[in-house]
Amino acid sequence: MLSVATVRSPVARGSVRSIAFPKLPAGYRSILPADIPGRNRIVSFGAEVPILAQDAVSYVGEPVALIAGPDPIRLEELVAGTKVFYESEEPFVNWESFSSEQVAAKRVAISGDPELAFSIAGSVHEETYTSGAIEHYYSEPQGAVAAYDYDKIAVWCATQWPYHVRDSVALAIGCRAQEVSVRPTRLGIHLDGKLWYPSLLACQAAVASIACGRPAKIILTREEDFRYSPKRARSSVSIRSALGPSGELTALDVRIAINVGAYGPLAEEILSQAVLSCSGAYACPNIRIEAYAVITNTPPMGAFGGLGASHSLFAIEAHANRMAQATGEDPADWKSRNVLHKGSLLLTGEPLKEEPPYEALLARVSAASDYRRKYAGYELVRKRRSGRSDGPLRGIGLALAYQGAGPFLSVEASNSYTVEATLDKDLLVRILTSAAGGAGGVMEVWRRSAADILGVGIEKVSVASPDTDQVPDSGPSTLSRNVSVVNRLVERACESVQKRRFRDPLPLTARSVYRVPKPIKWEGGQVSGAPFDTVAWACAVVELELDAWTLEPRMLGVWLCVDGGKVVAPDRAASSLRSSVADALGACLVERFDPSADAEGSAYFRYGLLPMQKLPPISIEFLEPSGREAVKGIGELPFDTVPAAFLSALAQAADSPFSSLPVTAAAILKPLEST
Amino acid sequence: MTISFILNGEDVNAKVGSVDRLSDILRDSFGLLGVRSDCRCGRCGRCLIFLNGRLVPSCIVPAFSARGKEVITIEGFAQTDDYIDISSGFMDAGVVTCGFCEASKILVAAALLERNPRPDADEIIRHMSSAPCRCTDPESIVKAVQAVAERRARRIYRRAGQ
Repeated sequence: MLSVATVRSPVARGSVRSIAFPKLPAGYRSILPADIPGRNRIVSFGAEVPILAQDAVSYVGEPVALIAGPDPIRLEELVAGTKVFYESEEPFVNWESFSSEQVAAKRVAISGDPELAFSIAGSVHEETYTSGAIEHYYSEPQGAVAAYDYDKIAVWCATQWPYHVRDSVALAIGCRAQEVSVRPTRLGIHLDGKLWYPSLLACQAAVASIACGRPAKIILTREEDFRYSPKRARSSVSIRSALGPSGELTALDVRIAINVGAYGPLAEEILSQAVLSCSGAYACPNIRIEAYAVITNTPPMGAFGGLGASHSLFAIEAHANRMAQATGEDPADWKSRNVLHKGSLLLTGEPLKEEPPYEALLARVSAASDYRRKYAGYELVRKRRSGRSDGPLRGIGLALAYQGAGPFLSVEASNSYTVEATLDKDLLVRILTSAAGGAGGVMEVWRRSAADILGVGIEKVSVASPDTDQVPDSGPSTLSRNVSVVNRLVERACESVQKRRFRDPLPLTARSVYRVPKPIKWEGGQVSGAPFDTVAWACAVVELELDAWTLEPRMLGVWLCVDGGKVVAPDRAASSLRSSVADALGACLVERFDPSADAEGSAYFRYGLLPMQKLPPISIEFLEPSGREAVKGIGELPFDTVPAAFLSALAQAADSPFSSLPVTAAAILKPLEST
Repeated sequence: MTISFILNGEDVNAKVGSVDRLSDILRDSFGLLGVRSDCRCGRCGRCLIFLNGRLVPSCIVPAFSARGKEVITIEGFAQTDDYIDISSGFMDAGVVTCGFCEASKILVAAALLERNPRPDADEIIRHMSSAPCRCTDPESIVKAVQAVAERRARRIYRRAGQ
């Protein structure tokens, strides 16, 4: 098998004039854009990303050519000896303020009369909340292998979206989709970092394989993966809010800017989700939102544990805590008064179908964490404190958020997703889906659902390998869709088998198809449609103590209570949520880097996860479902709640508000220096 | 140069260059794919091996330095009773890993239990941090290692009694 190494752009923005390869030994060959037999593009959510940049380059490290050969070490030397001649241009670095040519997507939404509400407001509060880029830090670097298998080209890669890989490779090599077979490999922890990027690598491997007439593999080094694969997009959410005389939320004016890096492959989806989540868990009759996905000359940025909702949910929740502080109320009380209720109108004009279980969540999480007593006590200490050496600097914060799950918001309604279930003569059940289970125990949820419906042991249920030749298209597998959409399809297919079970002879097979019910429409500031199929809720409390001299926040505890409907495997779900809470705390404290200021790649050596020994006890509780509730996606809830609760706790400990994540020692020092 | 060393209990020879990493030799020359070589700077812990009984990241060990030493990879360790204790303990405690960090977590647990057969939670957390991964929650790993310590102690006690 041949290895493939990538020749990358040395500049962030410019045009490639020529590429001078060193003398390639026998058995080695260079591959240029002209060698791509089909289309030199992959399409992701409407945006196009070149497989090999032909003329213009858009970020440092963008692939401009490939070299294939038998020895990976020799390939490294050959890539190092390759010279790319270019003309550079001034790169787009700024994204919080930006030019019109940087806008990849824009959304405007207006409901009610915000101008009037602000003009009669009792008080107005304004702040900008920013969150940084986060590396997915999965254990294995991304890669792909391509080879001819008789009359097909077979591709092996770890992907969340096998059919996207198939269609992209078919376009790249100019064949029919049926002539490409994608055989996904173990996915591991992906945190939505393997949605579209594996398709790019698969196309490169397939092109190299066809050009050389041999199997080809492209495996990124961990450093390459860190520097050039997608990260969580950075965001800046400016919120101006109006409160009525008794502290009720009357209007929101929100401006969102999300840095989607080069090409913005997930820009439409991220932006739609960010806008639709921007009032968070609160009822607000007057809203104005202006949101932009901004192109910069950094590697493409994208999703991380959810697509765009966490950007807005973090900001509005941090702002809610700040508004509560301004009104002199315990944030729990302020939230209680302003939270959405059954029938409250969402931004899309749809009424909320179920009563949010805020009171139950708050009661459980308060009891577990002793929130109310601690909040009151720490407030008293904060107000009486004379300086940073005066008593312990402790704080406790609370955040409420939801996770909506359903179809992607920016994919056409014609898209349908399918799952197939078969019950054979030995009462073995086989589930066929292209959705990838990953490492989060989702497969166990599918298997248990099928086992419950068909009345067989869970050990008799298997999930087929998601080979595109064998399984139907179940759409992209993200954290929430796997549970909310795919699990429902599994249930429906099994119910269909069960209905026919004693009527027709075994084996029985049934297919269940999901069609996007009512797509979101954006027209002249008006949004309509049903954004989510299911909504899960969570309330988080974070308690910390700030070391006044080392400026290190020491986490004392995290409590998370979740309303996730029917939780199929509570132990697995709790374990998975604890891991996500740890990741969310890492994003608050240590996971920081600036892709636009890392041309020399040193961030790779500095970046790391929050060490386990710095994690506090993490308590996870689930609300018992009332009646026959659906299984809901809950994996993103820690990312939606914990950061805001953390900032609120830190603000109380340091007696100063914070609005940026991750929090640096310099940011903490500033308010403490003045005391 | 050609070096000789003991690999998973067998005497082996390998032809190595001066810049070869031990992890690459183990993967490429001996097909031991449980030794992953991801970060290539000793941080990720996916290439951990026992070198003369000490747990080391093999991606930053020059291959020639293994000459005359004993190397145990996860494939060799999987033949031991300790492996059975640890892997079953992990399974019983419901530890779910991404699959890529599992070998390193097992080897770290083995090294810890070798040093301290009854580690407390802090010690477990401290040691398991040397195999960082987003997949595992600390609470279940502590429970798992403590369960493994129990199981291992019982096995050693039974064997001593025989």
